[in-house]
Amino acid sequence: MIGRWTIPLIVALAAACGVPFVAGDYLIGVALSLAMWIALTESWILLSGLTGYVSLGHVVFYGLGAYVGILLWGEVGGVLAVGGAGLASGVFALAVGYPALRVRGPYFVMLTFGLAEFCKYIVIDVEAGLGQFSRLLLGGPSVLQLYYVVLGLAAAATALTFFVARSRLGYALRAIRENEEAAETVGVPVAFCKLAAFALSAIIPGMVGALMVARSSYFEPSQVFDPIVSFTIVTMAIIGGSDDARGPFLGAALLVLLSEILWARAPQVYMILLGILLIAFVLFAPGGITGRLLSRPVKVKP
Amino acid sequence: MTLLKLQSVSKTFGGLRALRDVSFEVASGEIVGIMGANGAGKTTLFSLIAGNATPSSGEIWFKGRRIDGSRPDQNCRAGIARTFQIVRPFAGLTVLENVMVAVLFGSSRERSRAKAAARAEEILHELGLEERKSQLAGSLTLSGQKRLEIARALATGPQLILLDEVMAGLTATEVNELLTAIRVIKQRRSLTIVIVEHVMQALMRLADRIVVLHHGEKIVEGLPAAIVEDERVIAAYLGSAS
Ligand SMILES: Nc1ncnc2c1ncn2[C@@H]1O[C@H](COP(=O)(O)OP(=O)(O)OP(=O)(O)O)[C@@H](O)[C@H]1O
Ligand SMILES: [Mg+2]
Repeated sequence: MIGRWTIPLIVALAAACGVPFVAGDYLIGVALSLAMWIALTESWILLSGLTGYVSLGHVVFYGLGAYVGILLWGEVGGVLAVGGAGLASGVFALAVGYPALRVRGPYFVMLTFGLAEFCKYIVIDVEAGLGQFSRLLLGGPSVLQLYYVVLGLAAAATALTFFVARSRLGYALRAIRENEEAAETVGVPVAFCKLAAFALSAIIPGMVGALMVARSSYFEPSQVFDPIVSFTIVTMAIIGGSDDARGPFLGAALLVLLSEILWARAPQVYMILLGILLIAFVLFAPGGITGRLLSRPVKVKP
Repeated sequence: MTLLKLQSVSKTFGGLRALRDVSFEVASGEIVGIMGANGAGKTTLFSLIAGNATPSSGEIWFKGRRIDGSRPDQNCRAGIARTFQIVRPFAGLTVLENVMVAVLFGSSRERSRAKAAARAEEILHELGLEERKSQLAGSLTLSGQKRLEIARALATGPQLILLDEVMAGLTATEVNELLTAIRVIKQRRSLTIVIVEHVMQALMRLADRIVVLHHGEKIVEGLPAAIVEDERVIAAYLGSAS
């Protein structure tokens, strides 16, 4: 399996590295956005694709990373700010993961959505309390530099998901997705494994969040915690349709293309299409949104 | 040597008493059969021993340690495995992967995936599933899924295995094959077995001792030959059949 996918992936990565040499600023921007979505969706798959715990609040890690990033960037510089953002998101996942991962199925979906919204309003309130409605980041890196860093994170997220899926932990996570009680009964420490996946899935989005703030030179809580980011991630993953690292490329490419074509001209149409795509995939996947549609097709016995 | 000991274990679900003051012991190397009509509390008993549920009162001891209240994965690593009467395969994983999970996380806690795969294949071979190893577990027949339940439980490397109606729904030939397989498996390892079975003859042929449950209470315990003639057992069965 590695053999069949290594070469196309290396070619894709080489092509991605070459983009800035042949493309103008606009295309580099599009490529940056594609790399960002791949990084976010890969990290989502590490949690939701493998365990079947469908998170509709993945943006929370991105948003927290963005917030920590903007607070730190001016103080400690970009490298530490991005590292700190990843760390903060990972620690946050460890802190909220234990209680959150006790609920399953649609309840987990709602809980993660609510958690992300809750954090958004907390940050808005804190910022308002500080008299800060938005923050600026001046003297950040160039789009080209950002592109290469985010591309690196996209590759790292893909590799992480790929290797975790095939690791001992990956077996545990997929067993949890298929039947959590059976997994526990054959010795899988389910709470620990789910928490590990949750934390691992949070770090890269945190770093990406900090970098994307540098990209827009601007931080505004309702923008970096926008639930549409979570919806887009889920839609990309579901369209990609896979329980491992190969899934998101197709989904991310399709939606980035769609958004480039439609977003500026007809944002409502884009949002409606996003919704239709999500609903269509969920409806036509027999097991509903929790797990089965993320796994390989299974013949269900009566 | 006593491996498992239950001391007046009770379990209530809401107002329903599924088990009431059940006590018995299982010695190392024994095969103990559990009998009882539908709803007698047999599966509940297994859930309590394996840690899938906690007793409302009473104590459960395994290898001299108290285990009621500990988690299923802890009990599994301590050496207790169970099968599920209503099969619970990891449907979207292959048969081999199903068993590998148990090797990787059971009492042996194998770290190497290659070794786990090799061990899993041996166990699949013992249960006659080796030809199905690359198939998704969800696509197995009922008989196959019952065998997979046993394979997965064995793969955790248990000292005590709880078999919950693994022969229900199988044809006579399949029952015979499985009986033989279970005997061979038991001899090869120093296994202790507690088995729930509705197929009476199977239980009679396999068990050293039988415990009979009726409406959540233990009514008799004894040798198979004595059990079939016991009036309380006959009354309980006739009573529940009418
Ligand atoms: N999780 C549960 N919640 C509520 N009631 C339960 C639960 N599990 C079992 N029961 C009830 O407890 C009683 C004992 O059930 P149990 O499944 O242990 O019986 P059993 O002896 O295994 O029966 P069978 O031969 O049908 O498998 C039944 O009345 C059942 O309805
Ligand atoms: Mg039962």
